Amino acid sequence: MVADIRPLAAVLVSAVAIVLIIASHRRPNLREGWSVVAALAKFGIIVSMLPAVIGGTVFEWSLYESTGIQFLEGIDFALRADPLGIFFALLASFLWIFTSFYATGYMRGLDEHAQTRFFASFAASLSTAVGIAFAANLVTIFVFYELLSLVTYPLVAHNEDDEARIAGRKYLTYTFFGGGVFLLAGTAMVYWLTSLVEGGPTLAFEAGGMEALAAAAQAEPVYAQAAFFLLIAGFGVKAALMPLHSWLADAMVAPTPVSGLLHAVAVVKSGAFGVARVILEVYGPGLIRDLPLDVPGIGEIGLNIPVAIVAAFTLTAASIIAMRKDHLKRRLAYSTTAQLSYIVLGLSMLHPYAIVGALFHIPAHAFAKLTLFFCAGAIHVETHTDYISEMAGIGKRMPLTMTAFTIGAAGMAGLPPIAGFVSKFYMLIGAGDVGGSYWLFAAALLLSAVLNIGYLWPVVYTAFFESEDRHDAKPLLEFPRGGVVQSYGDGSDDDHVATDGGERANGTEPTDTTETEDTVVDEEFEYAVDKYPSDHTGPDDVATDDQGDRVSSVNHHGDHDDHLTGGPPAAGWQRHSPFTESTWLMLAPIAVIATGAVVLGIGPDYAVFLELAIQIVEDVFGMPFEELSTVPFDELMTEVTE
Amino acid sequence: MSNIDLIPPLLIVAPILAATLPIALGLRYDRTGWSVATITSTGLFAAALALASVVYTSGEVIHTLGGYPRTYGIQLVADEFSTLIVLLITGVAAGVLAYTRRGGPRGNTFYTAYLLLVGGLLGISLTGDVFNLFVFLEITSIATYALVASGDGPESAVAALKYLILGTVAASMYLLGVAFVFMATGTLNMVELSTAIPAAERPVLIQTGFAFIVVGFAVKVAQWPLHTWQPSAYQQAPDGVTPLIAALVSTASAYAFGRLIVTVFEVDYLAAMPNAAAIVLTIGCVSVLAGTVLAVIQTEVKRMLAYSSVSQFGLVIAAYGVVIAGNSETALTGAVIHLVGHGLLKTGLFLGAALVAASYGARTVDEYAGLATDRPIVAGSMAVLLFSLVGIPPSIGFVGKWYIALGAVESQLWPVAAVIFLSTMLTLAYAARLLEKMYFTPATVVERPHARGPVATDGGDADRDDDSTPDSEVEIDDGRAAAGLRGGAARNPVSVGMIAIVVVVALGAVALGFAGGAIAELLEPFLTEVIN
Repeated sequence: MVADIRPLAAVLVSAVAIVLIIASHRRPNLREGWSVVAALAKFGIIVSMLPAVIGGTVFEWSLYESTGIQFLEGIDFALRADPLGIFFALLASFLWIFTSFYATGYMRGLDEHAQTRFFASFAASLSTAVGIAFAANLVTIFVFYELLSLVTYPLVAHNEDDEARIAGRKYLTYTFFGGGVFLLAGTAMVYWLTSLVEGGPTLAFEAGGMEALAAAAQAEPVYAQAAFFLLIAGFGVKAALMPLHSWLADAMVAPTPVSGLLHAVAVVKSGAFGVARVILEVYGPGLIRDLPLDVPGIGEIGLNIPVAIVAAFTLTAASIIAMRKDHLKRRLAYSTTAQLSYIVLGLSMLHPYAIVGALFHIPAHAFAKLTLFFCAGAIHVETHTDYISEMAGIGKRMPLTMTAFTIGAAGMAGLPPIAGFVSKFYMLIGAGDVGGSYWLFAAALLLSAVLNIGYLWPVVYTAFFESEDRHDAKPLLEFPRGGVVQSYGDGSDDDHVATDGGERANGTEPTDTTETEDTVVDEEFEYAVDKYPSDHTGPDDVATDDQGDRVSSVNHHGDHDDHLTGGPPAAGWQRHSPFTESTWLMLAPIAVIATGAVVLGIGPDYAVFLELAIQIVEDVFGMPFEELSTVPFDELMTEVTE
Repeated sequence: MSNIDLIPPLLIVAPILAATLPIALGLRYDRTGWSVATITSTGLFAAALALASVVYTSGEVIHTLGGYPRTYGIQLVADEFSTLIVLLITGVAAGVLAYTRRGGPRGNTFYTAYLLLVGGLLGISLTGDVFNLFVFLEITSIATYALVASGDGPESAVAALKYLILGTVAASMYLLGVAFVFMATGTLNMVELSTAIPAAERPVLIQTGFAFIVVGFAVKVAQWPLHTWQPSAYQQAPDGVTPLIAALVSTASAYAFGRLIVTVFEVDYLAAMPNAAAIVLTIGCVSVLAGTVLAVIQTEVKRMLAYSSVSQFGLVIAAYGVVIAGNSETALTGAVIHLVGHGLLKTGLFLGAALVAASYGARTVDEYAGLATDRPIVAGSMAVLLFSLVGIPPSIGFVGKWYIALGAVESQLWPVAAVIFLSTMLTLAYAARLLEKMYFTPATVVERPHARGPVATDGGDADRDDDSTPDSEVEIDDGRAAAGLRGGAARNPVSVGMIAIVVVVALGAVALGFAGGAIAELLEPFLTEVIN
């Protein structure tokens, strides 16, 4: 443990940026410059700690030791750069660099209102996300967890219309229920439990679990279990575990950079990260397995089993729900819900391989999902299209974007060259190694991969292999659940029945109506595409615009539940080359992140994340990773306990 | 420390004597009230700081009035608990003056009542005698009735009357309780009582006395269902007065109640008294829930904040219950911190509300729409204060809630713990409502929802009509009305001091969020003394 100011500096650098961003609200270029500078500085600070952390050093900054101020009686406000912390901080700060470019392109492309508030809140979100990563005890993580809910609220409610306000309300309710109620209650209980035994009271994280808590759990097993589930529920809200997930889909009314970085990476991952802290460093795998939970009819099971079941259910159910979502961002949101449950499932299986897989899935999913969201946002900015059913043939309008989308989609499904494969592979090994009922979890993982293809492939297919005037119906979206029930003997339908079953009236009708609507709509709202020109000559001309009073103009291009704005123009999609389809501010980040997803998949050993994940697991189990595979699972668990 | 024990009596006597000055000088000069009040309360604050520096370094300061022994004389005691309240009272009293200079109310009589109120409050905090406590409660109440009644219009008079009736009944209840205890023990001094009560031969007298005292303070602290005086009093009092009343009057009563529990009756004795803990806990928890529900359904901002006080004091009373039931030091720390924290937060919030009312005449939640763009600093400060009230760390609101909740968990009072944790969500319900209006509701859309009728048929957007080409009479009138409401700043200027004090309070609330350990440390000697 080395005392060092850098963990604090990494948190504060974007907090300082908030002030600068607000101060330069009249000069957009300078303002966005601060975002980029802060992102680079933050990343630089975190990277500077990386080699030493991999070498086994832990940097710590504590409020008490540096200033003598005690945050609460017996509780220090401390930040610590350990492998797990730096793992998450590195990911969030790296992706923020590209997101700040992308956000600039996105916000200017749409000429959004209140951009200063947007960029300030964005910087604040990153500050708190890194705070969560580096928090050294439960109270510190709680502080940042609450602040994260707080500073992302303005981003969710950004549009200032009813839909955004309702989403904001729901967001606050869910996240504060998770943080202010469950997490705080769990923290208070852990503090109380550890105060009952020697070595307590303590809330500081320890690799492999707090020793004082393990001792206390022997004395008060029921309360220890209750505290565990409170903590998991608290973090589970942000990790969108069912049934606490529904805020995430609604939060998609936020501008896409928010949906991308925060609601696919920083915010939701902070939930998954919190679950990792609880499982690995508060309770520890051994204690979780040994605290018997008596279930009537089944017998005693480990505490991890209910969590794993919830996660397995969530990932299956969310994938199925995603299939029926026509709004692209909502479909991606349910996909996020499912993918986060991979992480929680992997962690709750407790097997070292599964844990490595789960941890590696944090960056793997982040890169792939960020790509997908960036693509969705680029499509929205350029064509105002939000609905998949209107995207037929969009591949020729936005070739690079849709190619990146394909890479991201493959990553979601866990196809080999992309990062998602590596993490899923480790998780499957872990599940298989434990065997027994864990095969069910392996099955859920495999099934979900198929479902992933089921909901993301249609997007790729419709973009590249269909055209705006010739495309199939979308049975999952347009038909009632369970398909169309119709008898061939139905008299009214006699005329249309063909012996080969082709060209049925009800199959083409919905498509026709959509198309007519589109044409009508396009005549009226043609400016929705043209008013904001697709190709930016440069950011400067937009920058001179006054961005104060744009409330009226956002009304018709926000992420609303209407089909009025999107779809191909009357003359069909224009064909664009990959370099002219959008502004470089958006294309460059898309290309970089998509490449990152591939790099992580091809050479996980060389990208730093896998190494860190393995190191985290080694710390937790207290032995080299190579030896872990030779020790039987049960023995491994008991050794952790001792 | 030669003369330091003179500070407690000076703290009480100085404002009461100074209260006569505005009237006396008013015979000759206009507008002396503010200066007198400012000089006095700044002096009081300085004296309180001096007192605090002694109390927190070398223990409690006791002044025995007239040198009579405490068995029948009166003592003034500044210990770790009361000094904290004294600091809050003098600080808030000095701070609110920064608002009233420009924001009003003006007039010498107002400042007379103001100083009288401060004197009474300081008396409540410092006295070591239960009957003397009654006297100061009455001084405080009478000054408050006068201040509430000084508001405009008949509603203020009605509110003051309501308060007068309920407040006097409550004080009488307290006096009856004291009488019963006196019958049983024969003394009125708090320290003497603490030894005499357990030795009392007829405990039923003590129990009866405690019951009367609980009911009396339940009214004074505005606990459900005896809170009915409080929302009207807060709402109808002049805007400049509400911060003072809301922050201090109920706080001082709650302090006195806590003092009686831990110093006079003592925790062990009350824990053994049948149902005492359960009753206090129930009053507190029910008030938390009822107060919030009532706060959520209010349309007036001041009234909403008033009901919020009902629920926040419910937390303090519930914490007292935890102290009795669980003998919990942590909960007592929490109660003290929450008392001070809530006082500070409500000062800021009511000052903010007053400021908005002064500049725009906006008083309902709906009228706050778009405040963030018009008054970013005030809106930002109010947002910070509201989130602090919800209990978002780092802030004083969180610190208090943490200790109270931890105390409930340590005492294994799970239903109480559940109420305390849930109170976060309940507070959020009304805080978020106001925040959403300030930040995410454009001003014009909400203010005139009905007048849009004629133009809305073409689906045109409201903002454009309002800003550029109003095409009907209705629109023009509308525009003027809105301009009148919004542009009030020119006629009714808000001084820098008024804004500054709100900002200072907001920053203070956040800064104190880091002082959780420090305050607990300061209180430590007191806690170990009263809790075994």
